[in-house]
Amino acid sequence: MQNIYEATSSNKMKSWVVVVGFLVFFTFVVYVLSQAFSVYMGYQPGGLGFVGMALIISGLMSFGSYYYSDKIILKISRAREADRKKDFQFYTVAENLSIASGLPKPRLYVIEDTALNAFATRRDPDHAVVVATTGLLSILSRTELEGVVAHELAHVKNYDIRLMSVVAVMVGTVALLGDMFLRMSFYGGRRGSSDKKSGQAGTVILVIGLIFAILSPIIAKMIQLAISRRREYLADASAIAITRQPGGLISALKKLGADREPLEAANKATAHLYIVNPFFGKKKGATSKFASLFNTHPPLTERITALEKMR
Amino acid sequence: MGIFLIPIVIIVVLLFWVASTYNFFVSSKARIKAAVQEIGNQLKRQADLIPNLEASAKGYLKHEKGILKDLADARRAIASAVKSGDVQKMADAGSKVASVLPAISIAVEDNPELKGSEVVTKLMDELRDTSDKVMYARRLVIDLTADFNVRRVSLPSNIVANMFKFKELPGLITPESGDHMEVSSKDTKSPKVNL
Repeated sequence: MQNIYEATSSNKMKSWVVVVGFLVFFTFVVYVLSQAFSVYMGYQPGGLGFVGMALIISGLMSFGSYYYSDKIILKISRAREADRKKDFQFYTVAENLSIASGLPKPRLYVIEDTALNAFATRRDPDHAVVVATTGLLSILSRTELEGVVAHELAHVKNYDIRLMSVVAVMVGTVALLGDMFLRMSFYGGRRGSSDKKSGQAGTVILVIGLIFAILSPIIAKMIQLAISRRREYLADASAIAITRQPGGLISALKKLGADREPLEAANKATAHLYIVNPFFGKKKGATSKFASLFNTHPPLTERITALEKMR
Repeated sequence: MGIFLIPIVIIVVLLFWVASTYNFFVSSKARIKAAVQEIGNQLKRQADLIPNLEASAKGYLKHEKGILKDLADARRAIASAVKSGDVQKMADAGSKVASVLPAISIAVEDNPELKGSEVVTKLMDELRDTSDKVMYARRLVIDLTADFNVRRVSLPSNIVANMFKFKELPGLITPESGDHMEVSSKDTKSPKVNL
């Protein structure tokens, strides 16, 4: 048994642990790789230039998705703005929950699709957008819909989109650095073979650098996914803090879990925004411990168990 | 040089912390005030909405005089509560509308011809929505006040709270004793449901 205050604060705590762990890992990888770069380049601080370059490239790439992903999604999914008359439940539920959470009312969109899903996007509470499919709206009762919309509003309130964008920049940086390092080892060779540093220490750093270049992008990606899963648990808990009705979200998740239709408008880059993983995959029981390491969302059964504890 | 710098840095950090904690307290006070006004705002909306709903549903519910009377009563209570400006009264009035809902569902159950009627469905939807709005507006006051009061007494923010003598905020006043806090022997028996 856990009351809602304990649940949210323990979730916040765990989420911070993962994020801080990621920061430590990022700093460490950047340090090691820049050391290894400098061995290649034959002078000491050279590696940091590469780090700066990788950060800028990766930053620019994520910048686009940070500012425009929502517009692109809304366009390609042909979402229409929700209307109070037509989508009475959705509209009023969102209105009411934004009263409860003290957030400005998000802009609401509806996707004409029979798949069951919902997502939130945009960078901060003032520019939030919540989108639901017509399939979802038609199948959920008002209490269930409240759970789902509260989950999306919780993502907005917790600044998850901003957090995940920053993490994505860092993951991209690590991937670029690793890639550059590997390319250099293939083509570049070692300039300045008369280098004084090419002793044993240099070789050791190079070997470590190689290992890091290969492994760290994968590890970074895995930590990114772990953060994403943590934020899902947190959003579930904070959704209950808004509605105080775990039953609603639980039965909504059960209904969503029973549906196996993938959402056509979803793509990999935005998967973490949805309430449930929009792809599912055809292989049903693929929830082994290892497979679940590569998911943006925790398995539904585990989310439901966590919610049951808050009853 | 370096040795003198350390205490200065510590003092600056401390000052920033005191300032941001102080800001938390004053800004959440302001937000609570706004949230209380939001309750009033929603009740006013409710008071304006009910006559409209009454007018449109009158034809369908003409045999259900009780419901129409309940609705009228609820509207009057809300109007007088909003006028008095008393938070407590406003909060109580909001729950009146919610209590009309079960009566309507019973009427619908008894009169199958009402079931299909869009007007009655709409009436129920709107009533549920408006009472939800009041309920959630109250929730915000409760949550913000709880947040304020917890930070006021817990370490380390209580140091700042004591420094500036912030008082505990009442939020929505609920009597700490009385019927709703007691379990009578009747409540302990499991309810019987006849279907």
